[in-house]
Amino acid sequence: MSAIAVPPTLVINKRRKPFPWVTVALCTVAFLYLALFLFIPLATVFFEALKKGVGFYFNAVTEADTLSAIRLTLIAAAISVPLNLIFGIAAAWAIAKFDFRGKSLLITLIDLPFSVSPVISGLIYVLVFGLQGWLGPWLAEHDIKIIFAVPGIVLATIFVTFPFVARELIPLMQAQGRDEEEAAAVLGASGWQTLWYVTLPNVKWGLLYGVILCNARAMGEFGAVSVVSGHVRGLTNTLPLHVEILYNEYAFAAAFATASLLAGLAVVTLVVKAIIEHRFLKETQ
Amino acid sequence: MTIQVVDVSKRFGTFDALNGVSLDIAPGELVALLGPSGSGKTTLLRVIAGLEQPDTGRVLFNGDDTTDTRVQEREVGFVFQHYALFRHMTIFENVAFGLRVRPRATRPNEKEIQRKVHELLGLVQLDWLHDRYPHQLSGGQRQRIALARALAIEPKVLLLDEPFGALDAKVRKELRRWLRRLHDEINLTSVFVTHDQEEALEVADRVVVVNHGKIEQVGTPDHVYDHPATPFVYQFLGNVNRFEGRIHRGVAHIGGGEVLAPDHADAHEARGTAYVRPHDIDIADAPDISTVEATLDHAVKIGAMVRLELSRRDNGDFVEVELTRERYESLQVTEGDVVYLRPRRARVFIDDKPADGAAVRLNSDVLGPSDSKSDAKTAHAA
Repeated sequence: MSAIAVPPTLVINKRRKPFPWVTVALCTVAFLYLALFLFIPLATVFFEALKKGVGFYFNAVTEADTLSAIRLTLIAAAISVPLNLIFGIAAAWAIAKFDFRGKSLLITLIDLPFSVSPVISGLIYVLVFGLQGWLGPWLAEHDIKIIFAVPGIVLATIFVTFPFVARELIPLMQAQGRDEEEAAAVLGASGWQTLWYVTLPNVKWGLLYGVILCNARAMGEFGAVSVVSGHVRGLTNTLPLHVEILYNEYAFAAAFATASLLAGLAVVTLVVKAIIEHRFLKETQ
Repeated sequence: MTIQVVDVSKRFGTFDALNGVSLDIAPGELVALLGPSGSGKTTLLRVIAGLEQPDTGRVLFNGDDTTDTRVQEREVGFVFQHYALFRHMTIFENVAFGLRVRPRATRPNEKEIQRKVHELLGLVQLDWLHDRYPHQLSGGQRQRIALARALAIEPKVLLLDEPFGALDAKVRKELRRWLRRLHDEINLTSVFVTHDQEEALEVADRVVVVNHGKIEQVGTPDHVYDHPATPFVYQFLGNVNRFEGRIHRGVAHIGGGEVLAPDHADAHEARGTAYVRPHDIDIADAPDISTVEATLDHAVKIGAMVRLELSRRDNGDFVEVELTRERYESLQVTEGDVVYLRPRRARVFIDDKPADGAAVRLNSDVLGPSDSKSDAKTAHAA
C-alpha cells in the first residue's frame, strides 16, 4: 500500500523542521532524476510521433494493422481484467477473512508473476500448449490453436496481471479485520450478502485502484505476449508488439505515433489513480 | 430462553482455551463471565454465539441442541468489543441491516423497517443520530448503536463481549447502569464478558469466574465476593493479602502469628496460604499469639477510610489494611511505627495440589485464636 502512504517529506515536517537546504537539495535531485529518466523520454515519444505532422500521425494511428493491434489489446484487457478481478477478490477474501492450510503457499503463488520474468511465463505456455508441448498433439488433433493465436495472448496476459487486484486487496482487508463480517453473520447475513454489502463496499477504492493497475499492465505487457504471439501482422500483434515491429522496420514516426497511444494510456492511468487516491484519503480521514 | 453449556472444550493449536466447561443460565438472567485475559471467557461467549465451533461438548438453547446450528440461524444478538459497526453505512442502515438481509418471505416491508429501527434508536436514546456515520459518533454512542443493531433481529439471547472495555471510566459507569436498567426492561437472557470485577459485581445477577479455560466459581456477586471458592477467586475479586505459612492440626502459622484453620484439622506440617481482605485486619495494641508484626510505611486517607500500606517485619511482604478514619485516629500511630496486625477473618488454602487448584475446595472460615475472639468483636464494633 505504498501508493496511498503519506509522502515522506510530510511526515518529517510533522516531527521537526529539517534545514531548508536539505529539502531543496532532495527535491532537486528527485526532479532531475525524474526529468532525465521519465519526462524527457515521454516528451520524446510525443515529439517524434508528431514530427511529420498531424496528418501523418492520424494516418499512422488509423492504419489497418494498427487498428487490429488496438482491437487485440482491448480484447486481451477486456478478458483478463474481469477474470483477475474475480480471482483477486476471491483470493483476498479467502486469505484475509478465513483460516486454512496452505495459506502462505497461496500468497507466495500470487506473487509468482512478479518474481518470474515475463519471457519465462510466455515460454511456459509455449511448452504446455505449443506444437511440441505437452498438450500440443492433442490440441492439433482437435484443431484448437492457442500458441501464435489470440487465446495464447489472452492466457499470457492473465498470467502476468493476476497479482494486481489480489495484492491491492489483501493488506487492506487484513487491516480491516473480521469483526464486521462476524457482525453480519450474527445478524443473519449469508456469505454472499456479507461479501456484497459489507466486505466489498469497505474496499471499493482499493479495488478500483487494483483494477486500474491491472488494466495498465494488461495493455502494456510485452515480454510474455511477445513469446506466444508469433508477431503475425493484423492478427496476433498487440500494441506494444506493433510498436516494436514498426521500429524494427525503420518506420520511426509510425512507431512513435503508436507508442504515443500507450503513453497516453499511461498518463490517463496516472490521473485516474491520483483521483482515486485523493478520494480514498478523504474517506479514511 | 435457557442456555446450557455442556462439557465444552476448545483448543487453538496447543493452547487450551476451554477445558470441559459446563454452565446453566436461567431465562432472563444477566450473567457476567469474569476472568483475566486469556482465561477463555471470550471463547466461551463465541462458542455460545456460534462464532466458534467447540471441539467437544454441546450448547443448548431452551433444551434444543444448537451446537451444529450455523451462526446465521442461531438468532443471537452479539455486541462486539470494538462495536464492529458497518463503517460505510449510516446509523439507520446499521440497525436495519439484520432486517434487510432476511429472506424475502420473512423480510418486513420498508415501512415496518422504518418503524422498527426508529423504535430501537429511541430505546438507546440516539434517534437523532440516524443519518450519521459510525466514525462521527463517540465510543459510548457507537456501543449503544451496536446494541440496538443486535436487538433489531429480536434475538433469543444477548451476548456482549467486553461491552465497555474500550470506553473511558466515566462513560463506562454510566453505560453499565444503563445496561442494567435496559436488561430489567426487556428481560432478555444476557451474557457479558468482562475482566473488570467491579463491572461484574455491579451489573450481573450471577458471576461466572473463569480461569485457564475452566470455571472457578459460579454465584451471586455477594456470594463470590464473600465466599471465594478458590485462591484464584480470592485474589481476582477485590484486594486480598496473602500470608504464606505452615498448617498443622487446624492451626495456620503465619509470620509469628497463628490463625485457626478448623477445616484443616488433619493437616500435618502442610504448606498453605491464608487470604485476608484488607478490611478484615485490625491493628492490635500489643503483640500476642495471633498477631503479625509489621512496619507502617504509608497511610492514605480516602474519604471515610484510611488505607495503610505496611511491610511485614519477618519477610518484608507488602500488606494492605483498611480502617475507618475513627479507628485509625484512635490508634495514634504514625508512619515508621511498628504495629501488630490481627486478621479478623481469614481463609486458609493448602498448596498441596498445584496441578489442580480447584480440587482444594476446603472451607475454612476462621476467626482469630479463641482468646482474642471478644477482642475481634469489639474491634469490629468500633
